Amino acid sequence: MRKSFISQNPSVLWFLLALSLFTLGVVMLSEVTGSNVISTSFVKTLGKTLCLCLVAIAMDVVWGYCGILSLGHFAFFGIGGYAIGMWLMYARTEAIVMDSLQAQVIPPTPQEISDAIGNQIFGVVGSSEFPLIWAFADGLFLQLLMVVLVPGVLALVFGWLAFRSRVTGVYLSILTQAMTLALSLYLFQNDSGLRGNNGLSGLQNIPGFEDTPQATISIVFFLASAVALGAGYVFFAWVVSGKMGSVIKGVRDNEARVRFLGYHVESYKLFVFTITAIISGIAGALYYPQAGIINPGEIAPIASIYLAVWVAIGGRGRLYGAVIGAAFVSLLSSWFTGGGAPDVNLGIYTIQWTDWWLVLLGVSFVAVTLFFPKGIGGLFDYLVRKPS
Amino acid sequence: MAPGCTKRFDPSRKPVFMRRFLVAIALFFCALTPVQAEDLQRILQAHAEEVANPSRRSVGVVLDDLVTSGLAQVPGFLENWADKNVWRSPDRLFFLGDVAGDVIEVTDLDSGETRSAPRAGFTQLKPNGGVRRLIGTALVQFQLADPDITRRESAVAAIARRPEAAQLAPLIASIDTETDERLRARKVQLANFLSARFAEAPQDRIDAIQSLAQDTSVEARSVLNQILQTEAGVGAAEPEGNIARLLDPMEAPDAYYAQLVEAGLAPARTGPAVIRAALEAHIDAGTVGGVPLAQLGTDAARERAYAALSKAGAVPPLVTEDTRDYALNTYVFYELYDEPNAEITAAAEAALASVEQRVAFAQAADLALDGLSLASIYFLAAIGLAITFGVMGVINMAHGEFIMMGAYTGYVVQLFVPDYTLSIMIALPLAFAVTFGAGVTMERLVIRHLYHRPLETLLATFGISIALQQLAKNIFGTQARPLTSPDWLDGAWVISDVVQISFIRIAIFVLALLFLALILFVLKRTRLGLEVRAVTQNPGMAASMGINPDRINMLTFGLGSGIAGIAGVAIGLYAKVTSEMGADYIVQSFMTVVVGGVGNVWGTLAGASLIGFLQKGIEWLNPSNTLAAQTYMILFIILFIQFRPKGIVALKGRAAAD
Repeated sequence: MRKSFISQNPSVLWFLLALSLFTLGVVMLSEVTGSNVISTSFVKTLGKTLCLCLVAIAMDVVWGYCGILSLGHFAFFGIGGYAIGMWLMYARTEAIVMDSLQAQVIPPTPQEISDAIGNQIFGVVGSSEFPLIWAFADGLFLQLLMVVLVPGVLALVFGWLAFRSRVTGVYLSILTQAMTLALSLYLFQNDSGLRGNNGLSGLQNIPGFEDTPQATISIVFFLASAVALGAGYVFFAWVVSGKMGSVIKGVRDNEARVRFLGYHVESYKLFVFTITAIISGIAGALYYPQAGIINPGEIAPIASIYLAVWVAIGGRGRLYGAVIGAAFVSLLSSWFTGGGAPDVNLGIYTIQWTDWWLVLLGVSFVAVTLFFPKGIGGLFDYLVRKPS
Repeated sequence: MAPGCTKRFDPSRKPVFMRRFLVAIALFFCALTPVQAEDLQRILQAHAEEVANPSRRSVGVVLDDLVTSGLAQVPGFLENWADKNVWRSPDRLFFLGDVAGDVIEVTDLDSGETRSAPRAGFTQLKPNGGVRRLIGTALVQFQLADPDITRRESAVAAIARRPEAAQLAPLIASIDTETDERLRARKVQLANFLSARFAEAPQDRIDAIQSLAQDTSVEARSVLNQILQTEAGVGAAEPEGNIARLLDPMEAPDAYYAQLVEAGLAPARTGPAVIRAALEAHIDAGTVGGVPLAQLGTDAARERAYAALSKAGAVPPLVTEDTRDYALNTYVFYELYDEPNAEITAAAEAALASVEQRVAFAQAADLALDGLSLASIYFLAAIGLAITFGVMGVINMAHGEFIMMGAYTGYVVQLFVPDYTLSIMIALPLAFAVTFGAGVTMERLVIRHLYHRPLETLLATFGISIALQQLAKNIFGTQARPLTSPDWLDGAWVISDVVQISFIRIAIFVLALLFLALILFVLKRTRLGLEVRAVTQNPGMAASMGINPDRINMLTFGLGSGIAGIAGVAIGLYAKVTSEMGADYIVQSFMTVVVGGVGNVWGTLAGASLIGFLQKGIEWLNPSNTLAAQTYMILFIILFIQFRPKGIVALKGRAAAD
């Protein structure tokens, strides 16, 4: 008899409990309740970290469970951000433009409004025309659909092409890296229709909530991110358990053998690749309104590699490992690079962590790969020993 | 005179031409005859008023007479005249003058005798700029036959800068007596350009134009383009003259209509902005033209209101698209050649087409050279990666940082060795040694422990890559460091105006060839190469034959890294040395390896060529946008992998298994 996936994965309950307590704690200590222990900007940082944890879980499923080392999942994250950013920017600019046009004696025509919005948005790249990809930008619902559809379709097409011709291993990694490089180079152009290297900005201002203080908005997004992370965790825990989970792990361990057992390996890989891409897109859509700005540099190949670094340090093949890795490394990174870490005086040389953090990260990453392949999450194995 | 030239400027056929030609010849011989006294002053006195107060229109007669006189004093006088050194005495004679206070030192124009006189009464001749230019043109013919070659060269250069009709005859006359081979060739070429534009007989011009069809230089093309200059115009009917082409106004109706408006043939277009401004100006108690303000939110309502206004005579009538199109169809839009003779323009068009075809071929050759040099860079950058990947199945993400390390080695060597040639000679082996050492260290410390886990090797080497990159940043700073090439590598090999390639790129090409040969030699002709190939094909079997795969792996990794170091020096010579330079090449190197196929030198060569030529080709199709070129190239590679997942040159048999 098959057990429910929760009982297969006791970590799910523990994780949800920890996440709820954490969320509750942050809300209690934030400026909204008046306790002011945690500043609004730190709430945003925490909210962004939750989104990064979500995309890290997706990465863990595709790499740690299915064995596909994708070096392009951050591209899907960025696409999700761009998709929601288009609506945020359009709607906000529309409100501003309408305000200024109302002041005129003659009411504006639809064409004039559209021209003025286009001029506001694309003036920086020397254009005022709306590109075709902005066709749905005026509707929140359609654009939310894009958050899911664009990464999904891109992953589906790319994955179908790659898995069909049995591109595996490092070849696939390089190919996914090429994909994200191509995408970021494309977006860097001014005529890409997404404002070139200026990216989309002002995303922290939510249209319709101009009068709501950022403290409240940040808490709302923090909660939304927490809910998304919890739901994503449960969903992926369900995906990797049961029969399908077994097949997916089988593909990781010995693809040929699974194929000879009669499973259509490509379909499983394609499913995992696409669903993780969609979740990454959703995570991006929650992340960038908190970050406030998105530009093509965000989806440079290095970002996707960092994603792999987080998952590797946190511990592959366990969902909570990905969460721990992403939260730990990204918070540590902002602590070190933000000047939070004290300089180390060696007498002849002072180590400034803003300069040396990346060296430390690189070296510790090598050390983790060499000596702790299970990552930080592996420590839990010592705590929870299964009866053999 | 050059044989081809004789035919083109056959003087016997054209009387006018012959006269000028003979004049020029006579002039040249006259210059050799002894000085004839008093003549210059006499000629000047004949045109005394034009000399004293010259204008651009009147001075021509004087200059003609001076030139035809053939006097030896004329060039000197002309120079002095233009330099404002000529003075007129109270008795109306002309002298060269040199003022010192109240005294003037006057020199007789013909005899050269000098005397002093009180300055009062002498007036200076001050020809204006236009006149001085005409004098300069007249002077050119003397300078063209000057014994001093630098003066001849500067005269030729002056003609090339500002070609004029009057220069043609003296230029041709000076060709025969030109002693310098190079200068004579240049004169013949220039004479050709001039006669294409200015020769009097149409047949002469056509002959010269046809000869230009062989010449791909920028100058020749600009001569043809000047002959073919057109002026756009519009009229009720086709105009008289040499029509280049009739234009279809419907191709860009708004632009052509603007031309009509400018010519005063049609009323200005009433666009949305004009309508809006007119409506705002005629608001009357909350309505415009009877339409309430609140309803003016659509174009249709605004046009209705505007129509009402124009009916009342308040604004000019609305120009709609229909009226615009009607106006456009009533008029003829054309381009008219400046050159009235249709035969000449036809010949020039044909010549230009032929020249452009040649230029296109030359550009293709140039593009091929560019592609070749890019391919050699990619080959150098990728071959080390390909070797390690082929032998060990390991992707070394730190390969780009080894390239950077090699470049910085070169930079450090140049800090200590100021001689650039010597420093490069030292830097190349030293860079190899440094990166070889780094590669071996890395293999011993990290990669050895991660065999059979290729994905983790990829990540571990990436960790090393970010650490190395940041270390380089900490040591050398973020700004770019120069790696200066020796003087003999500066400049470019110029094959023609279109085809040229810099010496550094040639050097990199040679270096790539050298390494191709070296690697082929090592792999195919040495014991090490044999063992490397054995390990590549089947490590287990190789080990049981007594080969130590551990040692081979270490050496291969060192070799691959060492070549990256050399590539770093080569790349640093033409690009800037920064801590991020490795990252710029790493993805392209991966592409090269993946496209080329693993474990085969020829595969890497094929991959590098494909990517290099492809990138240049795409850049050529879309020259303004190199980012797009890279995007399209990566898309192409992604698609290419679909059809040949194992690259161009795929290993066959068991070795191909993962």
